[in-house]
Amino acid sequence: MSTEPDDDLGKPIGLGFLPQLWPYVRPYRRAFAGCLLLLLVSFVLELIGPWLMKLAIDGPMVNLTLDSVERSHQLWIYSGGFLLVTALGALIGYLYGQVTAWNGQRVIRDVRRSLFAHLLQVSSAFHERNPAGKLTTRVTSDVEKLNELISTGVLQSFFDLLKIGGVMVALFVLDLRLALFTIATTPLVILLSILFRRNAQRAYRAVRGKVALQNAYTAEAIGGVCATRAFGREAQVQSRYQQLNADTADSWRDTVFHFSVFFSLVDFTLRATTIGLLWFGGSAVLRGEALPGQFIQFWLYFNLLAGPIRELGEKYNVLQEAFASSERIFKILAEPVFPAPGGKNLAAERTGSCEIEFRAVDFAYRNDLPILQTVSFRAGPGQTIAIIGPTGSGKSTLLSLVSRLRDVTGGAVLVDGIDVRDWDVRALRNRVAVVAQDLFLFSGTIGDNVRLFDRTISDERVWQALELACAADFVRALPGALDAQVQERGGTFSQGQRQLLAFARALVTNPCVLVLDEATASIDSATEARLQQALAAALQSRTALIVAHRLSTVRAADCILVLERGNVVEAGRHEALIQQDGHYARMLQSLACPAP
Amino acid sequence: MVFDSRGHANEPRVAQLSPSESSPLPPRCRKCPQCADCIAPPVGRCFADLSSAKKVTAAFARPWSLLCAHRRLVWIGALCIPPHAFVTLWMPRLWGDVIDSVRISTGAARPVDLATTCWLLLAMGLAEALLRYISRRTLIDVSRNVEQELKDQALAHLQTLPVAWFDRARTGDITSRLTQDVDLVRFVMGPLLLHGGSALCILPAGIYCMAKMDVPVTVAAAGILGLLFAGLRMLMPRLHKWSKLSQEAIGALSQRAQEDFAGIRILWQFGAEPREVAAMARRNRRYLASNLRLVRLRSLMNAITHSTTGTVMLGVLLVGGSQVIDGHMTVGQLFQFTQYLLLLMFPLEILGWTLATMPRAFAAANRVEELFAVMPEVTQGAAIVLRGHIEVRGLVFSYPGAAKPALQDVSFDLQPGQKLGITGPVGSGKSTLLALCLRFYEPPRGTIWIDGHDVLDLSPASIRALFAFAPQEPFLFSDTVRANVAFGRPDATASDLDFAVAAAALEKDLPQLPDGLDTRVGERGVTLSGGQKQRVSLARALLASRPALLLDDTLSAVDLHTERLILQGLKATRKGRTVIAATHRLSVVTDADQILVLDEGKVRERGTHSELLSQHGLYATAYRRQSEASALGGGDRA
Repeated sequence: MSTEPDDDLGKPIGLGFLPQLWPYVRPYRRAFAGCLLLLLVSFVLELIGPWLMKLAIDGPMVNLTLDSVERSHQLWIYSGGFLLVTALGALIGYLYGQVTAWNGQRVIRDVRRSLFAHLLQVSSAFHERNPAGKLTTRVTSDVEKLNELISTGVLQSFFDLLKIGGVMVALFVLDLRLALFTIATTPLVILLSILFRRNAQRAYRAVRGKVALQNAYTAEAIGGVCATRAFGREAQVQSRYQQLNADTADSWRDTVFHFSVFFSLVDFTLRATTIGLLWFGGSAVLRGEALPGQFIQFWLYFNLLAGPIRELGEKYNVLQEAFASSERIFKILAEPVFPAPGGKNLAAERTGSCEIEFRAVDFAYRNDLPILQTVSFRAGPGQTIAIIGPTGSGKSTLLSLVSRLRDVTGGAVLVDGIDVRDWDVRALRNRVAVVAQDLFLFSGTIGDNVRLFDRTISDERVWQALELACAADFVRALPGALDAQVQERGGTFSQGQRQLLAFARALVTNPCVLVLDEATASIDSATEARLQQALAAALQSRTALIVAHRLSTVRAADCILVLERGNVVEAGRHEALIQQDGHYARMLQSLACPAP
Repeated sequence: MVFDSRGHANEPRVAQLSPSESSPLPPRCRKCPQCADCIAPPVGRCFADLSSAKKVTAAFARPWSLLCAHRRLVWIGALCIPPHAFVTLWMPRLWGDVIDSVRISTGAARPVDLATTCWLLLAMGLAEALLRYISRRTLIDVSRNVEQELKDQALAHLQTLPVAWFDRARTGDITSRLTQDVDLVRFVMGPLLLHGGSALCILPAGIYCMAKMDVPVTVAAAGILGLLFAGLRMLMPRLHKWSKLSQEAIGALSQRAQEDFAGIRILWQFGAEPREVAAMARRNRRYLASNLRLVRLRSLMNAITHSTTGTVMLGVLLVGGSQVIDGHMTVGQLFQFTQYLLLLMFPLEILGWTLATMPRAFAAANRVEELFAVMPEVTQGAAIVLRGHIEVRGLVFSYPGAAKPALQDVSFDLQPGQKLGITGPVGSGKSTLLALCLRFYEPPRGTIWIDGHDVLDLSPASIRALFAFAPQEPFLFSDTVRANVAFGRPDATASDLDFAVAAAALEKDLPQLPDGLDTRVGERGVTLSGGQKQRVSLARALLASRPALLLDDTLSAVDLHTERLILQGLKATRKGRTVIAATHRLSVVTDADQILVLDEGKVRERGTHSELLSQHGLYATAYRRQSEASALGGGDRA
C-alpha cells in the first residue's frame, strides 16, 4: 500500500515518542502488570518441569535401592507433578495471549481512533502534501505494527532477556563447568543468529521490492494492453516482463541461499554445543561427579535458552520496524490542527443576514507568489456574484476562503458581518454550502451521499433537496432509488447527473450561502436546461458566489468580478461592464460569431 | 537442538501465504473501457470453464512438465531426502546409547565409547546439515525456475489474447492468477516436494523405530499426539473463518479511511467530520471484536502446540518410566523414544498443511490453466502495407451481452489525407467506432473497409501498423517520459523525439519536471497531470509516424491555450496524414473535412463545420456553449 520504501533497517531506534505513547498505555497499566506476572509464573513453571524430570530419573528410575512398589509410587507422584506443571503452563500461556491481546488491541484502537480524528482536523496543506493512500497506510498497517510493539514486542523481549539471565543463573547453580562451556559458545550462536536474520531480512526486503515491481508491471502489461497492441509492442513488453521476472526469481534464490546456509549453520552450531555438553557432561557422569538426571536437567535448561537466543535477531528487526511505525504515527499526531483551537467560536443565529464580504483579502501560499491581492466585494441576501477569469487567476482559491478551508494572509473574509476566523468552524460550514464541479462520492447509498451520513436528515428532506436540484427523476429510476449503492466512485453517473447530485447535497442542509463552481461544456442540452432551472430555484433566497462559465449566469449576476492574476480588474453588472469596454467586453468579443 | 524440531519450518508457511480466495468485492458493473459507460451487468464467464476437467494431473500438467525440464536437479535434491531422514532418525539412538553407557548403575545395555560416539554425532550433525542444504537448494531453486517460466509463458499467452477479452476480465483477477495462484502452484512444485517427501520418509521410519522399541508406549504416545493434532485441525476452519472476518473488517476500515482522506474537503465543507469519526469508531470496534476472537483462538491453538512437548514427555515419563522400573527399557532408550516422538511432530504438521493446501493449490493450478485455455486472437489475414482509405458502410455493432447496439447504421468514406471529426455526448459510441477501426473488436463482415479490403481479411498487425492511436485515458508505463514517448518507436532519433515532444506542446512542461524527459512518471503516470499524460500519449502517437492518426478525445484535459498551440502544430505537420478525431471539444474538429455528430450510436448530423453551424442543431448549440465557457475562462476543464 505504501509507496515509500521501508528503509527502517539499520536505522537507530528512536525512543522520542515513548512519552507520547504513555497516555495510551496508562489506562491499561494494571493489565500490563498482570501480563508481566503471568510471564514470570510461566518462566518458573518452565524451570520446574525439567527439575521434576531429573527427580524422576535420578529417583525411581535409577535408584535401585528402593522396592518396585515404592518406585512406581514415586513415579506417579512426579508424573502428577509434571502434568500439573504442563497444564498450568498451557493455561497461563493461554491467559497471557488473551490478556496481551486484550491490552494491545485496545491501545491500538485508541491510537487509531485519535490518529484518524486528528487527520480529519489537520490543515488542507497537509492533505495536499500527503496522498490518501499514504495516510491510509498510517491508520492501518502502521498502527498494526504498533500493536506488535505493545502486545508482544516490549514485554516479550524484556522477558526473553530475563529468561536468558535466569536460565544462565540456573545453569551455573547446576554445574559450573558445563555452564562455563555454554557461556563460551553462546556468543557465537547469538552472532550467527543476528547475522543470519540481518542477511535474511535484507534478502527478503530485496524480494519484496522486486516482487512489487514485477506485480506493478504485470498490472501495467494487462492494463496497457490497448497501447501495446496499437503500437505493436508486444515483444518489448514481454522482454521487459521476463527481465523483471528473472530479477525476482534471482532474489528469491538469494533468500533460499541465506536460509539454507545460515539456518544450517546456526542449527549445526547449536547441535555441536549440545554434543560438547554431552561430552563434558557424560564424562562428569562417568567419573561419578554427576547423576544422569542432573545432566538431563541441565540439558533441558540449555534448550530453554536456545529458543530465545535464536530469535533474538528476529525480535530486534520486528521491534525496529514497530518503532519506525510509531515514530511516523506520533509525528502525524504532533501536526497542528486547522483551524487552531481557541478563537471566539461564535455561532451566529440562523436568522443572520447571509451576507458575504471580502475586505482587502490577500492570499499567498508562499510570500513571493501572491494568489489573491486586495480582493474586496460584498454580497447581500438574494444576490449573486459571478467570478470570471482565465485559468490560474485565483478563482478556486477565492471560493475556498469562504468556508475557511484556508486562512487569508491579509484582510478579512466576513460572513454575516463576523470574521470567519471568529466563527465556530462547523457553524460556519453549516451556513455555507459548496457545490464542487465534480461530485465526490463515498461508497454507500445515494441517500447517504446526499445527506453525507447525517442520520438526522430524513428521507423526506433528502427527496425535497433532490426535487429542488432536479435530480429526483433519475434517482427514482435507479434500482432501489435512495438505497441504490454507489458503484466505482459513481462512474455510472453522467457529468450532468453528478452535478445535480452535488446540488442536492448542498441544498439538503438548507444553507444560506451557496458557493459554486459552475459546470462546463460537456453536458447535453437537456441536462443543461435542468441545471439552469435548479440553479435559479436554489439562488432565489440565498447569497451566491459562482465561478461562472455560462453567459446566462453572468448576465443575471448582481455583480461580475473579473479576476486576472489574483487581482479584481473589473467589477460591476453586465451592462455597465460592456459600456466600460474593458477586459469583460474583450472577453465577450471572442464570441463575435454566436449562433442566433 | 533436537527438542525444537519445529525450527526447521523455515520455508514460508501456509499461514503466511496470502489467501487466494477471490476478492470479497461485490461483482461490479462491466464497463466499456473507452467511454467508461456501463454497458452490461457483470459477466463472470470470461475464462474457459475447466471445472469439468477436475483432474489433478490435468491442472498440474504444465508446471509438472516445466519441473521435468529440470529433472537432474530434482533427482539430486530428492535423492538427498532419504539419507537425511536416516541420519536424523539414527542420532537419537546414539544419544540413548550414550546415556545408558554413562549410567553408574549396573547393567549398561550397550556400552559404548563416549568419545567415539561424540565424534560420530558431530559427523552425523554435519551430514544432516549438508544433506538438508543440498535438497533445499536444489528443490526450492527449481521451484523458483518453474514459477519464473510459468509466469513468462502466461504473460506471453496474454499478449496474444483479443483486446475485447480484457474488457470482460478484470485486471485484478488476471493479476492474481499470475501472482498468488502461480505462487501456490510453485508451492506444490517445491516446498511441498521437499517437506512432503521428507515427511513421507521420516513418518513411517520413525514409527517403525519406535514400535521396534516398545509397541504399547508407541501406541500411547502416538495416541496423545494424534489427539492434539486432531484438536488443532478441528480448530482450523474456525481460524480461517475468523481471520477472514478480521481481514474484511480491516479492509472495510481501510477503504473508508482512504475515501475520507481523498474526500476530506467535502467532509470539511459539510462539517461531516464528527460523523465520520463516529463511523470510524464503529468500524474500529468491529475490527477489535473480530480480532479478539481471532486472538483467543490463536492463543488456544498456541497453548495446545506448546503443551504438546510437555504432554508427550508426560506420557513417556508415565508409561516409559514404569517400563524402566520393570526393566523393559533403559533410561537411554526412554530418552531415545522421546526424541523420536519430537522428530515426528514436524512431519505430522507438514502432513496437516499439505492436506489443507492441496485443494487450494489445485484450485489455483486450475485458475492458471484457465488463463492458458483462453483462445488467442485471430492473427491470420493479409499482411499489406495500407495507405489509409477508410470506408465504413452501414456499421451496426453491439457489445456482447449489451441490450442495445453501441453503433447503428454508421457510414462514412474517408480518403487518405483527410480529417474526420466525430463528436457527440458521453456514451454516444465515438470510442467504439475508433476501437473497431483498430480491430480491437470484431466488426460484422462487410462493414469496415480499408483500401478496399474488409478489415476481417487483414491481419491485425497490418491494421495497427496503419494507425497511431492516442486514447482518451492514456496509459503510461512507470518509466521515464522519454521511454513513454518512444514506446511506439524505441529506435527514434533524438531529433525525431524532440520534434514529437514539441508538436505535443510538452516542451514547456519539461522545465517543471525534475529530470526533464528523463523524469520517471510513477505508476500509471501518477506524477503527471491529466493534461500532461494526454500530451505524452499524443507525442507517442506522433512519433510512431504512421499513415493515420486516431485521436480519442486526446486533448480533453489540456487547457484551451495549449490546445490551440497543439492544433496549430498538428495542422502544420499533418503532411497528408489521415486523421480521425473523436472529441467533445469542437475546436478540435472545426477544420475537419467531415464531421459526424453521434448520439446513442446513430449519426444525427453530418457535414463540415460551417454546414453544421447553419443547421442550428446539436452541433451548433454545443459550439455556442463551448465558446461562451472558453470566453469566460472556464474551458480548461471539460
